[in-house]
Amino acid sequence: MTREEIINDLKERFKEDIIDVFDKSSRRVYIEIKPEALVKVASYIFKDLKARFNIASGVDTRLHIEILYHFTLEYINLLISLRVKLNREKPEIDSLAPSFKGANWIEREMHELLGINFKGHPDLRRLLLAPEWPKGVYPLRCDYEEWDKNAIRDRGV
Amino acid sequence: MSLTLRALLKSPWVFHLATGSCNNCDIEVLDCLTPRFDIERFGMLLAPSIKHADVLLVTGACNRKSAIRLKRLYDQAPKPCVVVAIGECSLSRGIFMPSYNCPVPLDKIVPVDAYIPGCPPKPEAIISGVVKLIQKIKGSL
Repeated sequence: MTREEIINDLKERFKEDIIDVFDKSSRRVYIEIKPEALVKVASYIFKDLKARFNIASGVDTRLHIEILYHFTLEYINLLISLRVKLNREKPEIDSLAPSFKGANWIEREMHELLGINFKGHPDLRRLLLAPEWPKGVYPLRCDYEEWDKNAIRDRGV
Repeated sequence: MSLTLRALLKSPWVFHLATGSCNNCDIEVLDCLTPRFDIERFGMLLAPSIKHADVLLVTGACNRKSAIRLKRLYDQAPKPCVVVAIGECSLSRGIFMPSYNCPVPLDKIVPVDAYIPGCPPKPEAIISGVVKLIQKIKGSL
């Protein structure tokens, strides 16, 4: 399938779930979908279109917490980014880790750094942060504040 | 000068520890060991374990997890042990000074004997820093 055929196929197949399609360039397309439909759309792109799951990235945009799931279709040189916008008060989304293993660690990382709850994740432990890090403090949120009273924030000169 | 210290200065064995650096300082440290700069002519040799080493060479801004490991390594080192901080990150944490994961600078965790600034420092700077450190220890005794 060519690039246009794939994008039109996705638009047709998931027309209920797709909110917006932003055609950035010849090699990149952003598809904003409803959070409920993520597993369905991502599994279709991964398993049926034979895409490679590159990475997911989480961003706190003050209005929402956004996750971008990046898939590459190497045979046509196209990067599809699935964008979901989550409620900032209670960010929750279905986990992709049961569908493909590559999503496991990046979801753990987003869970600890942004506080997104991945429903159905097999093992939602901490990945990077230190054990003494307090619960409920997420360093990559916009409203993060220093919690460590012993931290030294000067150059020492 | 005591015999141990004389032996230490004759051929300091170096243990290289990266506490979460971007690897650029590590590349420069490795460059010191290659034939072009050949730090081995000063008797310096990279030791595989801290228990064999006289010098602890630290790169990178210590983050919360690696700071514990650094302290543990320093405790395991046979004394007298010289600590050398290489690069801007281990000196003052560089751009990671306000970072949530780098609460304390290196010299608040272990005592540091020599600071080699630069981002990354040139191999010449590293060699000059180490030679100065050896001279300082010799001179002070």
